[in-house]
Amino acid sequence: MKAVIQVRDVVKTYPLGGSEITAIDQLSLSIDQGEFVAIVGRSGSGKTTLLNLLAGIDRPTSGTVHAAGANLGSLSESDLAAWRGRHVGLVFQFFQLLPTLTVAENVMLPMDFAGKIPADQRHSRAKHLLDRVGIGDQADKLPMMLSGGQQQRAAIARALANDPPLLLADEPTGNLDSTTANAVLTLFADLNREGRTIVVVSHERDIRSIVGREIVLADGRIVAADRVAIGASA
Amino acid sequence: MTGLLLVKLRRDLQASWPRFALMVIALAVSLVVFGGMLCGWSSIGRETSSGYMRTIPASATIVLDQGIDAERLAAIASAALTRPGVIAATARAQFASQAESDGSRAVPLQIFVAAPNDPMRMVKFDLGQEGHWPPAADEIFLRRDSLSMLGAAVGEVVTIRLPNGDRARLRVAGTVYDPSLAPSPQEQRGYGYLSTAALARPGQPVLLDQLKIQIADAGQMTATRDRSRAVAVAGEVGEWMGQQYGLTIREVQVPKPYAHPHQWQADVLLLSLLGGATAALLLSTILVANMLSNLFTQQIPQIGILKAIGARSVRIRRFYFAMTLLIAGAATVLALGPAIVLGQNGLQALLGMLGIVPVSLTPPWWAVAIILVVGLLLPPLMALPPLLKASRTTVRAAIDHRGLTAPASAATGVLARLSRIRGLNRGMLMAFRNIARRPARFWLAVGLLASAGAVFVAGMSLMSGTRAIGELQKAQRYWDVDVQLTAPAAEADVIRSVTDLPGVHRVEAWRREPVGIAELGRLPVTRTYPDQGHGSVAINTQSATSATPTILEGRWLNARETGSVVLNQATRDNAVPDLRAGDQVQLFINGKAATWRIAGIVEERGHGAGGVYATAEGLTAALGQGPLVNQIRIVTADHDEPARNKVAEAASKALTQTGFSVASAASISRSEEISAGHLGPVVLVLLGVALPLAVVGGIGLASVMTANILDRMREFGIMHAIGARPETVRWIVVAEGVFLAITSCLIAILPALVLTAILGAGLGSLFTNAPLPYRVSGIGAGIWIVFVILIAALATEAAANRASRITVREALNYL
Repeated sequence: MKAVIQVRDVVKTYPLGGSEITAIDQLSLSIDQGEFVAIVGRSGSGKTTLLNLLAGIDRPTSGTVHAAGANLGSLSESDLAAWRGRHVGLVFQFFQLLPTLTVAENVMLPMDFAGKIPADQRHSRAKHLLDRVGIGDQADKLPMMLSGGQQQRAAIARALANDPPLLLADEPTGNLDSTTANAVLTLFADLNREGRTIVVVSHERDIRSIVGREIVLADGRIVAADRVAIGASA
Repeated sequence: MTGLLLVKLRRDLQASWPRFALMVIALAVSLVVFGGMLCGWSSIGRETSSGYMRTIPASATIVLDQGIDAERLAAIASAALTRPGVIAATARAQFASQAESDGSRAVPLQIFVAAPNDPMRMVKFDLGQEGHWPPAADEIFLRRDSLSMLGAAVGEVVTIRLPNGDRARLRVAGTVYDPSLAPSPQEQRGYGYLSTAALARPGQPVLLDQLKIQIADAGQMTATRDRSRAVAVAGEVGEWMGQQYGLTIREVQVPKPYAHPHQWQADVLLLSLLGGATAALLLSTILVANMLSNLFTQQIPQIGILKAIGARSVRIRRFYFAMTLLIAGAATVLALGPAIVLGQNGLQALLGMLGIVPVSLTPPWWAVAIILVVGLLLPPLMALPPLLKASRTTVRAAIDHRGLTAPASAATGVLARLSRIRGLNRGMLMAFRNIARRPARFWLAVGLLASAGAVFVAGMSLMSGTRAIGELQKAQRYWDVDVQLTAPAAEADVIRSVTDLPGVHRVEAWRREPVGIAELGRLPVTRTYPDQGHGSVAINTQSATSATPTILEGRWLNARETGSVVLNQATRDNAVPDLRAGDQVQLFINGKAATWRIAGIVEERGHGAGGVYATAEGLTAALGQGPLVNQIRIVTADHDEPARNKVAEAASKALTQTGFSVASAASISRSEEISAGHLGPVVLVLLGVALPLAVVGGIGLASVMTANILDRMREFGIMHAIGARPETVRWIVVAEGVFLAITSCLIAILPALVLTAILGAGLGSLFTNAPLPYRVSGIGAGIWIVFVILIAALATEAAANRASRITVREALNYL
């Protein structure tokens, strides 16, 4: 299987006062196409930092990150943005919807940026994606009129707008009730079955039951990387 | 920009329309003032010049020491056409008189005289539909704005004094539009136009004493713009007249070519206003750029989202540039029409003050183009740095953005130590510290308000300064009535005629004569305008009881000193600019030239007439005459206007009965009105600039407070969560606004004092020939403090309201 993500000897440090904090410490990782990987660990273990590195949001202090066919270290900020639009779907806790665009418009916006989807198909595709995530009837509403869970589903639909091969999600169920959280995780499982590579940072206990691999981080290092049989704890 | 980004742009504008409206208002207000001043300034030169030049003014006026037969001077005028450089010539005269209408009090009148067959090809005046030249022997034309001063109407009869002392009753045959003269109300003097037929008396020739000539450059047939050329040719003509015809030249008057007597003041006034308006526009643009910067900061999370889903920096740049351009465009569209109207109204008012009827109030195309370009391009230009910064926001930075994250400034460190003060309310402490958390915003808000305050207080202080001139002059004018005789008379006889009149307390008399002044070996050349007021020079024997003016160079005259004169600064600067105290100067008085030494130069405020001072003994010795006087000052027993007018009338009658010829007798209140007329525009300059600055300052404060609230949404949520009542939060926000306002007042003190000094010196010299007395208006400062605190309260009202109603949920969900 072709590796979609290759992380080699990556170190990420942040300055703090007069010293430095090491968030990622000599981490190497490879994720194949079509894998569904969960990154777990305690607070401060470096999970979100690792995901940010994979998304090009952070740059490593040393080491290399290859993702979705690009060496992220060689791309400018502008190129990273364009790369993300075409190759990566981001579902982050802090990246909610743009407040002055409707739900459907939020989903269509990445299509405008990437230009992958023909203009005359964008609206229908957005509608389809919203139906897929179960909020097709909310398409023409502004985000403030949706519940937290509905906004999260809309964010997922937006992440799928350009049919990216790679989905990165940081605590996608963090603000959701258990029923909605299960529904979102099930959706991710469905998307993975379609061949998408998905990397999820999550505190959910049930995540093991749907992912193919669980990577455990502690103090910026991988302490365990277990392959899990899908549906093992169902 | 994609269609959806256009949708986002439209909805972002709708969602925050109050903020955008404030930006548009701030820009539009300052653009209206800037555009208005630009339109006015760009047109004033055209209209004053064209109005003035329509009269075909003389390049030079050669004034004879004694009038000669009108026909003889007309013949000399014809002969003057053969002189090199002279393209037109005419013989004229003018004299100072008084006019009365139906028993109303006498009003000074300057009368211009021309022959009935004068072709009126130069030094013209517009008789309109009402009349044609010449008037009949018993008729007079009056300048349009003189009618109300005289209380007369066309068809009515006015009584004037002729040069020989006779009184003539003349019918007002029509009105004249003469844009070459300053307005009658400003000069407190009317203007009349007579033909020589009105002066004709049996057995007496009609005398004219002015040869007016138009001078062209070599080979040209239009009047020269070069004053030195005009001086040279006029001087040559004057010498030719002296040699050829044995005439004594008293003075050669060469005003600035192509320039109305008040044109330079109008230019400078409008230029000053334009400068102030430009400053206001720049400040408002900086304010808007700051407001946009705050908006961009607020949108950092959205910028992060956009970049996370594929938007490059250039798209984001274009988005916010379009937003800025929309704001600039809206402000420009709103401002253009009112700016043009303001410019036209201002121009019309200013031209009215100059006595000129405009041909066109339309500003030149380039002025409109400048308004459009400035309005559309300046705001985006100023907003460029924060726009570029915002567009470069990385996704990382957007994730880390938590509102107010700027490191504490040095001021907050100082303010942190305030907590050691016991009993200091912690809410007030918060307010103090909050205003220092964003130094740039603090200085922007304080700077805008302080600028407006400094300009306003300076304007009010200048008003006090202009009033102080009047008070100083009033204090120096210890007398109540001025009387002028048409010819000098024995001092003792004159004083005896009026001393015993009822209501007279004390009488002084002195002599004043028109004088030509020149460096040794040259003809006396002045810059005197046709009204004989602006630029004219006279020698005065100073009364012993008059206060000595401020000495600028040298010294004042010693008692009974002969052979020495003192000049005022206007005379020296205009007539003999290269001479200093101690130098010798030539004076031409009553046809006689004599050399004097300049004892000193003094400072005097006036609006055109220059001054030369000598002792009575000095002038007597120079003229070879006994002690003669032609100016009388009367101190009345009562100092109210009716008492003064009564004494003036009685003195005029008594002197006439004694055999003296009275040119005018009037209360000194007329002189005071002339000063006020010239000084009025001075204050307009600053108060006109202070207003838009105040508006912009208020908007700036509102914007800063709103931005501060938005930055601290979570903070206010926490305060509500830990028990702060809405009133407490509201009070803290209002206190912040008021502290900002008070700080701006303190910061404005020094600039206000400096501005008052600089403008008082500049504008005072411009309009009154000397710096204005330095006065600081306490009332002005008080008004401003109250006003700015009110502005602060109003400006923070919306922000305080918002802060007090923020819920914990809202604060936590704030995007």
